[in-house]
Amino acid sequence: MLRRIWNRAEFAASSAWQNFWRNATVSVAGLLIVWVVLLALGSLLLGLHSLDEVVNVEKSRASVISIFLADSTPLSSAMDFKAHLERDPRVSAVTFVTKDQAMEKFRQMPALSPEVVESLGTNPLPASLDVTVHDIRDLAAIDKEVRASPLVDKSPATNYEPSVIDKIILLARVAGIAGLVLIIALTALSIFIIMLTIRTAIYLRRKEIEVMKLVGATDWFVRWPFILEGIMTGGAGAILAVAIVGFGYRPAVQNLQSVLIFVPFFYDPNFLRVVLAAMLAFGMFLGVFGSYLGVRRFLHQ
Amino acid sequence: MVSTMVSDATPLITFQNVSKTYPNGTEALREVSLDVPRQDFVFLVGPSGAGKSTLVRLLIREERATTGKIFVDGQELGRLKRRQLPHLRRKIGIVFQDFKLLPNLTVFQNVGFAVRVTDGELRHLKPKVEEVLSIVGLDGKEKKFPDELSGGEQQRVAIARALVHDPKIFLADEPTGNLDPATSWEILQLLLQINARGTTVLMATHNREIVDVMRRRVIAIESGRIARDEDAGGYHAQANLESR
Repeated sequence: MLRRIWNRAEFAASSAWQNFWRNATVSVAGLLIVWVVLLALGSLLLGLHSLDEVVNVEKSRASVISIFLADSTPLSSAMDFKAHLERDPRVSAVTFVTKDQAMEKFRQMPALSPEVVESLGTNPLPASLDVTVHDIRDLAAIDKEVRASPLVDKSPATNYEPSVIDKIILLARVAGIAGLVLIIALTALSIFIIMLTIRTAIYLRRKEIEVMKLVGATDWFVRWPFILEGIMTGGAGAILAVAIVGFGYRPAVQNLQSVLIFVPFFYDPNFLRVVLAAMLAFGMFLGVFGSYLGVRRFLHQ
Repeated sequence: MVSTMVSDATPLITFQNVSKTYPNGTEALREVSLDVPRQDFVFLVGPSGAGKSTLVRLLIREERATTGKIFVDGQELGRLKRRQLPHLRRKIGIVFQDFKLLPNLTVFQNVGFAVRVTDGELRHLKPKVEEVLSIVGLDGKEKKFPDELSGGEQQRVAIARALVHDPKIFLADEPTGNLDPATSWEILQLLLQINARGTTVLMATHNREIVDVMRRRVIAIESGRIARDEDAGGYHAQANLESR
């Protein structure tokens, strides 16, 4: 029994290996297209995941609104205003930030060189009340109310910027749809090319297949070498893509972090592992499905 | 597979009113009925396109009969499922005019191929291959490649390959079509020897001389019908012969 299984496996593997090299051009084309699909898939998944995390961070940031106070506002009025806001049921916390504290925060922004800060001379930053709300959907109403107060600075009155999150979500959605369309197109193309690879291999082996059928080989015995060839092609493309994404993800994130300093990009090794596994599985699937299609029509006379 | 008990008296091959019409409308066989008993030796003669090859294809169920029934060793071919076909084909050894050897395999590998791809008993592969090669008289040529052999030797390799599953039926479709007369006779001797070992042999042929000398059963097919079926017959009908 073992010997029989070994015979089958050895026959399928050596035939598949021969097939792959006998029409190397088409095989390599199949491998490359799988590679490209998986690179696209991997990058898209990681990219969307990063955007998703950015959205989450921005959402938690967005539940805080800074109300900038006019420089002329006396401290007591500011404290009254703070108490007034704290009584509001929609508000969970209010922090008073003085002009000096604002300046201190500003100084710590990594993108600014100290010279720029020094050149400002007097402190242009306003004091603020940082209001945290329970539900970010109340922000717009609070923003509108506080703008009416005479204590509030007019340029600008608050840092309320409703469109930022929406823009990120929109970006994620557009990138997701565009990526998905691209991947679907590339997937179809790669299945087609693998099918072509297998058809070519079958054509080159037509004499052998004819003999196999005549002497009574089963359909699956005839099919296995070609299915295996598909798995090999898909698997090799997948391994190349997995290596590139696996080793390239961390440097890519670090690069982005240094370019887009205000955007909170993270390196997420757990998600990376999921993505790599998905890429490998998808590569195998492309190989199996393409070769199945290639084998199906020809052998079913 | 469950094989139905078949007594030696039932024919090994039976055609009952078999017609075959191809999708393009060609009527290759019309209402053909015939019986081939076990261990028979039959020549199948007739002009090209008369339906001999269709008959061979129906027997290995490369094609299905359009109407009528075909029985091989008690099994009705029309009822066989696709996955049962390999088992049918292992009961039938077949050789062709063009040998169908694999050029990149040696003689030994060509014959062993039939064992390997059918999940045959690998422990017996070597002795079995050696046995059939010695039956066809090719001992010592195991390591040759097909293009190093003469046409007759190549056909012997094909015959050895067809014998490796100990078939009940041996089909030869124009086996001497590419061979010179002397070699053709050698191949025929080999087929007789195979028949003498108990295998039923069906040989489709254009070789008039062989058929006329052998005086075996002859089934003549013309335009898809059985024109003649006689024991100890000649290539042409008796009346034809006398008029010449």
